[in-house]
Amino acid sequence: MPSLTAFIKSLFIATVIGLVGAGLFIYSGLYPIGADVPHNKLSYWLLETLRERSIARAASGIQIPDNLNTSDRLLAGGADYNDMCAGCHLKPGKKESDFTIGLYPSPPKLTATADNHGHKHGGGSGMDEDENNAAIQRQFWIIKHGIKASGMPAWGPTHSDERIWNMVAFLQRLPTLSEDQYQILTSRGNATETHDH
Amino acid sequence: MKLKLLSPVLVLAALGVAFSAQAHDPKEHMKDAENPNCAAMKDMDHSKMDMNDPVMQAMMKQCMKDMHHDDDSHAMSHDDTSDEDHKEGSGEQHSEHQH
Repeated sequence: MPSLTAFIKSLFIATVIGLVGAGLFIYSGLYPIGADVPHNKLSYWLLETLRERSIARAASGIQIPDNLNTSDRLLAGGADYNDMCAGCHLKPGKKESDFTIGLYPSPPKLTATADNHGHKHGGGSGMDEDENNAAIQRQFWIIKHGIKASGMPAWGPTHSDERIWNMVAFLQRLPTLSEDQYQILTSRGNATETHDH
Repeated sequence: MKLKLLSPVLVLAALGVAFSAQAHDPKEHMKDAENPNCAAMKDMDHSKMDMNDPVMQAMMKQCMKDMHHDDDSHAMSHDDTSDEDHKEGSGEQHSEHQH
């Protein structure tokens, strides 16, 4: 019967061999790092789980403003969304862009309702209040801090929390907007300037 | 000597930070600002519009001037001060203009 010492020795040797093997694999350059080759299932699961757990932990304490659902926030957040986000996260009537096709992982289509894509976000049907709040906190955190190696920048260094909350407010209504509604809400120009007199 | 070189580098870095921060000011986006297509509101189904909905209220805010401008051109009865009064009023008044 093998002793405990022999078992620990075997475990140590196996760990060393595993670490050396992983190191050799990393330095060999064999892993396809191009964005046009998807991760294998293990890498994808590891990265996705790491991302989601990290965001859930970091975002859980964020205080959501009481006045999130106001017209002023929609107008301010809509204009910023159109300038900063629509290229990757699309707008009503647009199904894809160079960024949605070329980026990996592909940026989520924020015009889709929560029921139409993988993860939950604010305003989704069948979500209780806690889930809805967690989804809103998640959106705020991601906009503010970005996500490493995903193409999502951190807007926090250049945008105030209030401005980011305006974008979060707009995101709650974005999936329900028509093309015309989106155009009106996100325009920064003055309506009267369209008239020629 | 090193200090002499350091100050221009610091000035350039500070300028870089200042300009990058300025680029994120909403005013910077006004150069290519699109005007709201308020004519599209006239084609929308008004029976389905909820004036308490923030989306509807936001659209009214965007197009308020435009819609009053239309009214003025038809009736020639509103002046600027009444226009401002309407801005503070409920959206229902504006929806009535549309029906």
